[in-house]
Amino acid sequence: MIWEVFRQEQAGGYHTHCGNVHAPDREMALLFAEVQHGRRKPTNSLWVAPQDEIGEVDTEDAKFGGTTDKSYRFARTYNVEPAAEEVEASEKELTEAERERGDV
Amino acid sequence: MATADDTELSGPDDLDDAEQAAVENLLRRLADDELVIAERYTEWQVRAPTLESDISLANIAQDELGHARLWYEVIKNFGYDETDLIWEREADDFKHSTFVELPFEEGDWADAVIRSYLYDVAEDIRIRALEDSTYEPIRNRVEKVLGEEDYHLEYAENWVERLAADDESREELQAAVDRLYPHALTLFEPTDEELEQRVVELGLRSDPLVELRGEWHDRVSSFLESVGIRVPEIDLPEQYDIHVSPADLPEQTGRDGDHTDHWEALLDEMTETYDELGRDYASRIMVDDE
Repeated sequence: MIWEVFRQEQAGGYHTHCGNVHAPDREMALLFAEVQHGRRKPTNSLWVAPQDEIGEVDTEDAKFGGTTDKSYRFARTYNVEPAAEEVEASEKELTEAERERGDV
Repeated sequence: MATADDTELSGPDDLDDAEQAAVENLLRRLADDELVIAERYTEWQVRAPTLESDISLANIAQDELGHARLWYEVIKNFGYDETDLIWEREADDFKHSTFVELPFEEGDWADAVIRSYLYDVAEDIRIRALEDSTYEPIRNRVEKVLGEEDYHLEYAENWVERLAADDESREELQAAVDRLYPHALTLFEPTDEELEQRVVELGLRSDPLVELRGEWHDRVSSFLESVGIRVPEIDLPEQYDIHVSPADLPEQTGRDGDHTDHWEALLDEMTETYDELGRDYASRIMVDDE
């Protein structure tokens, strides 16, 4: 039985897939994963999950993000040079006003 | 000579000759056991049942080597170097138990599982008995060793339970227990009665060997019997100066330097490259642990 292994480097971070181990059950999978995937790289936590239990959808089945242009979904679309300057200026004004009011 | 109650021994300068001999006696047993069992474990490299179990046992071997190094470092502070302690040492000067030097039968994974289980329980018990050692360099290494031993125990117990669940495998575990048990008892045999007594008097270790052995016997018996494996009945006298009835011990215990023939062969193999290169020093690629 194959168990997929996910490693988290630091507390609070994501568990990222890092490989798998062959093991008859979860207990043994964790013991094997600890040595095979946690002994050299920085590790805070490991997850194991049976390969069979992992669901998958891929590009054969799905059009991820749709087929038409929806680049407005990304905030950086608006983040062009002149606008960025205006945003920066406006933020400065706000901070200045706050200080004058004695809020900061 | 100091007594345990008021003693705090911070290093070699605090020890007279008799005390140093006791510290050395305690540490050579430990360090030699760790070195030799690690050497045997590595024989499973590329031969264990699966890639994962192979890597896990190799990793355990590296842990045990690391522990050997921790204890040899404390001995080195008495003026020895690594060539004295390993590479140029005579076979009959090594004080490890014959339990750790026995070869594995080819493909006998049940032996590896039982060997590591019996060893790791003994290790857990004897290292915990050093937690309050009056000799500071011993005491301050205990936590580091125990930190790695938890995995070893969990791993070994897991394998025992797993194999014991199958009739055929359980028979193989039983055969390994029957064969290894007398040798396992030598883990708790003294290297020298007088020095051994001094170890306890000085508070280097909290309990005499005979008590550690009793604890070990109870713990391994109750676990092994819970999974259907019989543990040999052995006469365990209470008196400190009488250890195990000689009838229950193997011919060689190793502790007095008298080993099985397997040891000389293993030592030759271990030191082959050192000898071949005509070395008279040990290369170091890491600095000593503190």
